[in-house]
Amino acid sequence: MEEIPDFWRTEVFHPLSVHFPIALLVVAFLFKVVALKYSREVWERGGTVLLIAGLVTLWISVFTGDLADGIVSRKICDPTILKEHENMAWATAWFFSAGLGVDLLRQLKYPIFKNMFFRLIMILLLATGTGTLTYTGHLGASLVYQQAAGVYVPSQDCAEFE
Amino acid sequence: MKTRLLNTVLISAIFLFFACGESTSVVESGTYQGTIQEVEPSKTEIYVETDDNQILELYFTDSTELSRNGSRVEFSVLEEGMEVEVDVEKKGKRLNPLAVRVLQ
Repeated sequence: MEEIPDFWRTEVFHPLSVHFPIALLVVAFLFKVVALKYSREVWERGGTVLLIAGLVTLWISVFTGDLADGIVSRKICDPTILKEHENMAWATAWFFSAGLGVDLLRQLKYPIFKNMFFRLIMILLLATGTGTLTYTGHLGASLVYQQAAGVYVPSQDCAEFE
Repeated sequence: MKTRLLNTVLISAIFLFFACGESTSVVESGTYQGTIQEVEPSKTEIYVETDDNQILELYFTDSTELSRNGSRVEFSVLEEGMEVEVDVEKKGKRLNPLAVRVLQ
Protein backbone atom coordinates (compact mmCIF):
# COMPACT_ATOMS: atom_id res chain seq x y z
CA MET A 1 0.00 0.00 0.00
CA GLU A 2 1.15 3.51 -0.82
CA GLU A 3 2.24 5.68 2.09
CA ILE A 4 1.48 9.35 2.61
CA PRO A 5 4.71 11.24 1.99
CA ASP A 6 6.25 13.42 4.67
CA PHE A 7 4.77 16.93 4.60
CA TRP A 8 8.17 18.64 5.01
CA ARG A 9 9.43 17.79 1.54
CA THR A 10 11.94 20.05 -0.21
CA GLU A 11 9.42 21.16 -2.84
CA VAL A 12 6.90 22.22 -0.17
CA PHE A 13 9.15 24.99 1.21
CA HIS A 14 8.49 27.08 -1.88
CA PRO A 15 4.70 27.42 -1.51
CA LEU A 16 5.25 27.95 2.21
CA SER A 17 7.56 30.91 1.60
CA VAL A 18 6.17 32.46 -1.56
CA HIS A 19 3.03 34.11 -0.18
CA PHE A 20 4.97 36.48 2.09
CA PRO A 21 6.62 38.48 -0.72
CA ILE A 22 3.40 38.49 -2.76
CA ALA A 23 1.53 40.20 0.07
CA LEU A 24 4.36 42.43 1.33
CA LEU A 25 5.54 43.73 -2.03
CA VAL A 26 2.08 44.53 -3.41
CA VAL A 27 1.23 46.47 -0.25
CA ALA A 28 4.68 48.16 -0.34
CA PHE A 29 3.94 49.34 -3.88
CA LEU A 30 0.51 50.66 -2.80
CA PHE A 31 2.12 52.52 0.13
CA LYS A 32 4.58 54.20 -2.24
CA VAL A 33 1.76 55.19 -4.62
CA VAL A 34 -0.27 56.65 -1.76
CA ALA A 35 2.89 58.49 -0.62
CA LEU A 36 2.88 60.36 -3.95
CA LYS A 37 -0.34 62.08 -2.96
CA TYR A 38 -0.18 62.17 0.82
CA SER A 39 3.05 63.33 2.36
CA ARG A 40 2.60 61.67 5.75
CA GLU A 41 5.77 59.80 6.60
CA VAL A 42 3.93 56.59 7.42
CA TRP A 43 3.32 55.90 3.72
CA GLU A 44 6.89 56.65 2.66
CA ARG A 45 8.74 54.96 5.52
CA GLY A 46 6.13 52.22 5.89
CA GLY A 47 6.50 51.44 2.20
CA THR A 48 10.26 51.17 2.58
CA VAL A 49 9.98 48.80 5.57
CA LEU A 50 7.48 46.63 3.66
CA LEU A 51 9.75 46.73 0.63
CA ILE A 52 12.74 45.50 2.64
CA ALA A 53 10.71 42.72 4.31
CA GLY A 54 9.16 41.75 1.00
CA LEU A 55 12.48 41.67 -0.78
CA VAL A 56 14.12 39.48 1.87
CA THR A 57 11.27 36.99 1.62
CA LEU A 58 11.32 37.26 -2.18
CA TRP A 59 14.97 36.19 -2.38
CA ILE A 60 14.21 33.36 0.06
CA SER A 61 11.39 32.30 -2.29
CA VAL A 62 13.73 32.39 -5.28
CA PHE A 63 16.07 30.08 -3.36
CA THR A 64 13.31 27.66 -2.29
CA GLY A 65 11.93 27.77 -5.85
CA ASP A 66 15.30 26.74 -7.21
CA LEU A 67 15.35 23.79 -4.81
CA ALA A 68 11.82 22.78 -5.86
CA ASP A 69 12.69 23.12 -9.56
CA GLY A 70 15.09 20.18 -9.47
CA ILE A 71 12.32 17.93 -8.14
CA VAL A 72 9.15 18.99 -9.93
CA SER A 73 10.77 19.42 -13.37
CA ARG A 74 11.13 15.65 -13.57
CA LYS A 75 7.41 15.09 -12.90
CA ILE A 76 5.34 17.81 -14.54
CA CYS A 77 4.14 17.54 -18.14
CA ASP A 78 5.10 21.04 -19.34
CA PRO A 79 8.38 22.28 -17.82
CA THR A 80 8.35 25.27 -20.21
CA ILE A 81 5.79 26.89 -17.87
CA LEU A 82 8.17 26.29 -14.98
CA LYS A 83 11.03 27.89 -16.92
CA GLU A 84 8.90 30.96 -17.62
CA HIS A 85 7.85 31.07 -13.95
CA GLU A 86 11.54 30.99 -12.99
CA ASN A 87 12.53 33.71 -15.48
CA MET A 88 9.70 35.98 -14.38
CA ALA A 89 10.59 35.41 -10.71
CA TRP A 90 14.18 36.51 -11.38
CA ALA A 91 12.94 39.57 -13.27
CA THR A 92 10.60 40.40 -10.36
CA ALA A 93 13.43 40.05 -7.84
CA TRP A 94 15.67 42.42 -9.82
CA PHE A 95 12.93 44.99 -10.43
CA PHE A 96 12.12 45.21 -6.72
CA SER A 97 15.82 45.17 -5.78
CA ALA A 98 16.46 48.08 -8.13
CA GLY A 99 13.34 49.85 -6.83
CA LEU A 100 14.51 49.45 -3.24
CA GLY A 101 17.99 50.62 -4.25
CA VAL A 102 16.58 53.86 -5.69
CA ASP A 103 14.28 54.25 -2.68
CA LEU A 104 17.17 53.91 -0.21
CA LEU A 105 19.31 56.34 -2.19
CA ARG A 106 16.41 58.82 -2.04
CA GLN A 107 16.03 58.42 1.70
CA LEU A 108 19.68 58.34 2.67
CA LYS A 109 22.33 60.97 2.24
CA TYR A 110 22.30 61.69 -1.49
CA PRO A 111 20.25 64.85 -2.16
CA ILE A 112 20.55 64.38 -5.93
CA PHE A 113 18.13 61.45 -5.68
CA LYS A 114 15.52 63.42 -3.76
CA ASN A 115 13.76 64.90 -6.80
CA MET A 116 10.52 63.81 -8.46
CA PHE A 117 12.37 62.14 -11.34
CA PHE A 118 13.91 59.46 -9.12
CA ARG A 119 10.66 59.07 -7.24
CA LEU A 120 8.93 58.26 -10.53
CA ILE A 121 11.76 55.92 -11.55
CA MET A 122 11.23 54.06 -8.28
CA ILE A 123 7.45 53.91 -8.84
CA LEU A 124 8.03 52.67 -12.39
CA LEU A 125 10.37 49.90 -11.16
CA LEU A 126 7.94 48.86 -8.42
CA ALA A 127 4.97 48.96 -10.82
CA THR A 128 6.81 46.77 -13.32
CA GLY A 129 7.87 44.47 -10.49
CA THR A 130 4.28 44.23 -9.28
CA GLY A 131 3.21 43.31 -12.81
CA THR A 132 5.83 40.59 -13.19
CA LEU A 133 5.07 39.40 -9.63
CA THR A 134 1.41 38.97 -10.56
CA TYR A 135 2.29 37.07 -13.73
CA THR A 136 4.82 34.92 -11.83
CA GLY A 137 2.09 34.06 -9.32
CA HIS A 138 -0.31 33.19 -12.12
CA LEU A 139 2.28 30.84 -13.66
CA GLY A 140 2.96 29.29 -10.24
CA ALA A 141 -0.75 28.68 -9.73
CA SER A 142 -1.02 27.08 -13.16
CA LEU A 143 1.89 24.77 -12.27
CA VAL A 144 0.12 23.64 -9.11
CA TYR A 145 -3.51 23.48 -10.27
CA GLN A 146 -2.97 22.25 -13.82
CA GLN A 147 0.13 20.09 -13.43
CA ALA A 148 0.06 19.21 -9.72
CA ALA A 149 3.62 20.48 -9.30
CA GLY A 150 4.87 19.45 -5.86
CA VAL A 151 1.48 18.03 -4.97
CA TYR A 152 0.94 14.52 -3.63
CA VAL A 153 -2.01 12.95 -5.44
CA PRO A 154 -3.77 10.41 -3.18
CA SER A 155 -4.72 7.00 -4.50
CA GLN A 156 -8.28 6.61 -5.82
CA ASP A 157 -9.47 4.57 -2.83
CA CYS A 158 -7.61 6.80 -0.29
CA ALA A 159 -6.31 3.61 1.35
CA GLU A 160 -3.12 5.30 2.57
CA PHE A 161 -5.21 7.57 4.80
CA GLU A 162 -6.91 4.70 6.69
CA MET B 1 21.86 65.35 -20.51
CA LYS B 2 22.11 63.52 -17.19
CA THR B 3 18.40 62.71 -17.31
CA ARG B 4 18.68 61.31 -20.82
CA LEU B 5 21.61 59.13 -19.78
CA LEU B 6 19.71 57.82 -16.75
CA ASN B 7 16.66 57.13 -18.90
CA THR B 8 18.81 55.16 -21.33
CA VAL B 9 20.41 53.16 -18.49
CA LEU B 10 17.03 52.39 -16.95
CA ILE B 11 15.39 51.27 -20.19
CA SER B 12 18.45 49.17 -21.06
CA ALA B 13 18.30 47.59 -17.61
CA ILE B 14 14.63 46.68 -18.07
CA PHE B 15 15.37 44.99 -21.41
CA LEU B 16 18.40 43.27 -19.88
CA PHE B 17 16.27 41.78 -17.10
CA PHE B 18 14.06 40.09 -19.65
CA ALA B 19 16.88 39.16 -21.99
CA CYS B 20 18.73 37.33 -19.20
CA GLY B 21 16.08 34.61 -18.95
CA GLU B 22 16.88 31.36 -20.68
CA SER B 23 14.30 29.91 -22.99
CA THR B 24 14.29 26.23 -23.82
CA SER B 25 12.92 24.23 -26.72
CA VAL B 26 10.57 21.29 -26.89
CA VAL B 27 11.55 18.77 -29.58
CA GLU B 28 10.12 15.46 -30.77
CA SER B 29 11.46 12.18 -29.39
CA GLY B 30 14.68 11.23 -31.13
CA THR B 31 18.43 11.57 -31.17
CA TYR B 32 20.11 14.96 -31.18
CA GLN B 33 23.72 16.13 -31.22
CA GLY B 34 24.93 19.31 -29.63
CA THR B 35 27.15 21.09 -27.15
CA ILE B 36 26.65 21.28 -23.40
CA GLN B 37 25.89 24.91 -22.64
CA GLU B 38 25.48 24.57 -18.87
CA VAL B 39 25.80 21.85 -16.23
CA GLU B 40 23.82 22.02 -12.96
CA PRO B 41 25.36 19.29 -10.76
CA SER B 42 23.01 19.89 -7.80
CA LYS B 43 20.02 19.09 -10.01
CA THR B 44 21.79 16.59 -12.31
CA GLU B 45 20.64 18.75 -15.15
CA ILE B 46 22.25 19.88 -18.39
CA TYR B 47 21.41 22.35 -21.12
CA VAL B 48 22.37 21.19 -24.59
CA GLU B 49 22.49 23.51 -27.59
CA THR B 50 21.73 21.43 -30.65
CA ASP B 51 23.31 21.95 -34.06
CA ASP B 52 20.18 23.83 -35.16
CA ASN B 53 20.47 26.21 -32.17
CA GLN B 54 17.72 24.75 -30.01
CA ILE B 55 18.30 24.60 -26.26
CA LEU B 56 17.29 21.30 -24.65
CA GLU B 57 16.91 21.29 -20.87
CA LEU B 58 17.53 17.75 -19.68
CA TYR B 59 17.02 16.48 -16.15
CA PHE B 60 18.71 13.13 -15.66
CA THR B 61 16.63 10.33 -14.18
CA ASP B 62 17.68 7.06 -12.55
CA SER B 63 17.34 5.36 -15.92
CA THR B 64 19.37 7.86 -17.97
CA GLU B 65 22.43 6.10 -19.39
CA LEU B 66 25.49 8.30 -19.52
CA SER B 67 28.45 6.94 -21.46
CA ARG B 68 31.77 7.85 -23.02
CA ASN B 69 33.49 5.59 -25.57
CA GLY B 70 30.94 2.89 -24.79
CA SER B 71 31.61 2.83 -21.03
CA ARG B 72 29.26 4.20 -18.40
CA VAL B 73 30.53 7.30 -16.65
CA GLU B 74 29.40 9.47 -13.76
CA PHE B 75 27.49 12.74 -14.15
CA SER B 76 30.49 14.60 -12.70
CA VAL B 77 32.49 14.09 -15.93
CA LEU B 78 30.14 16.42 -17.80
CA GLU B 79 31.46 19.89 -18.49
CA GLU B 80 30.38 22.96 -20.38
CA GLY B 81 31.48 22.84 -24.04
CA MET B 82 31.46 19.04 -24.37
CA GLU B 83 29.96 17.58 -27.53
CA VAL B 84 27.20 15.09 -26.74
CA GLU B 85 24.61 12.96 -28.46
CA VAL B 86 21.32 12.55 -26.60
CA ASP B 87 18.38 10.22 -27.00
CA VAL B 88 15.32 12.00 -25.71
CA GLU B 89 11.76 10.88 -25.16
CA LYS B 90 9.07 13.56 -25.28
CA LYS B 91 6.29 13.14 -22.71
CA GLY B 92 3.79 15.97 -22.88
CA LYS B 93 6.25 18.84 -23.23
CA ARG B 94 8.82 17.23 -20.94
CA LEU B 95 12.01 15.80 -22.41
CA ASN B 96 13.31 12.71 -20.66
CA PRO B 97 16.94 11.95 -21.49
CA LEU B 98 17.14 8.19 -22.12
CA ALA B 99 20.83 8.19 -23.04
CA VAL B 100 23.60 10.75 -23.19
CA ARG B 101 26.81 9.88 -25.03
CA VAL B 102 29.89 12.09 -24.69
CA LEU B 103 31.42 12.41 -28.16
CA GLN B 104 34.86 13.78 -27.32
